[in-house]
Amino acid sequence: MSDHVAKHGDGPEVYFQYEDIDQQQESYVVGMWSFLVTEVMFFGALFLIYTLYRWKFHGTFFGAHEQLNWKMGGLNTMVLLFSSVMVAFAVHFAQKGKTNKQLVCLGVTLLCAFGFLVIKTFEYGAKFDHHLFPNHSFSYADPEHHESKSWWDEALPAALKIEKHEQEGNPKNARLFYSIYFTMTGLHGLHVIIGIIAITALMVLIKIRSPLITDYIPTELVGLYWHFVDLVWIFLYPLFYLIPR
Amino acid sequence: MADHGHDHSEMTKGGAHANHILSERTILIVAGGLFFLMALTIGAAIYMPEPFKGWTIPMQCLALAIAVAKACLVVYYYMGVKFGTRLIKIFAYGGFVWFFMLFIMMIDYTTRPMEPVPGWEKQTSSALPRDTVKNPE
Repeated sequence: MSDHVAKHGDGPEVYFQYEDIDQQQESYVVGMWSFLVTEVMFFGALFLIYTLYRWKFHGTFFGAHEQLNWKMGGLNTMVLLFSSVMVAFAVHFAQKGKTNKQLVCLGVTLLCAFGFLVIKTFEYGAKFDHHLFPNHSFSYADPEHHESKSWWDEALPAALKIEKHEQEGNPKNARLFYSIYFTMTGLHGLHVIIGIIAITALMVLIKIRSPLITDYIPTELVGLYWHFVDLVWIFLYPLFYLIPR
Repeated sequence: MADHGHDHSEMTKGGAHANHILSERTILIVAGGLFFLMALTIGAAIYMPEPFKGWTIPMQCLALAIAVAKACLVVYYYMGVKFGTRLIKIFAYGGFVWFFMLFIMMIDYTTRPMEPVPGWEKQTSSALPRDTVKNPE
């Protein structure tokens, strides 16, 4: 197989402001990276907030994190890593011009994205039922609410259940932990949803042989976005689910 | 195309091609590395034997080091920065340099007590009242 990137038809048009196709494609990728840099800044501020309060209230953050299901988080990490691998393959097949394989890889990525959201729903559902969502009904270290049962917990297979821990620490600071947890994982979830929309749009455009898709670059750009979503989760997982004592 | 005049893009390319194809073998090796590191991070956090498990800072550093290793694999290979042109590299690295520069702000928080600010709760408080510097909990 040749190492040259396959082109559809006559290949992409080189616009007048570019010297050649390499320069044009480079500028697409740089454009995507500058968007991703704004995303790094956006999440960076949240990671800073996390660091600050974790440093101030380490004891309570440790206690509060024990309520999170690290097995579900780990499963989600696996799902996202696998989807990232699939996107890498999708870009690979797009470059080789193998459209069918590319669509299969993008489809598997889409399934992983939905799987991620389903797992997240189980986690969020249990947190709502245990009064750990930081709204007016928030309650921490209160035996009455702590003992409350949640369908979202009961419905899990035994292998995914974790042992119940006492809610330790200051409820006020625990509330802060859950605020940061829901903000960061919620925003990450929003990115997953945007990713789902982007991947679906890309698949439809490829399927209908849209003139917008002349080469592998749209897949590459959506892929960069999806890898970024994976990247954020790579840090969220150890920071929220695996806090050492 | 570029057969007329000089090609200024050579300056930014540094011998790289914007459209480098990652081989299937590389994708699979990197995937193996990512899953191995994921297992390692869970193993280090959950199944670490007791004397080590209690060392907060080394354990946190270990978890973050593994996360950074995974991030490097994704950024260098899957996001193609390793094979990217110099222009792509400077944008990509710029973002992460910015990310670490943000944490310089911790110098302020770690050396100065917080001013209490009125919140929506009845008692005057903030997430970081003044005495938390001495008594964090």
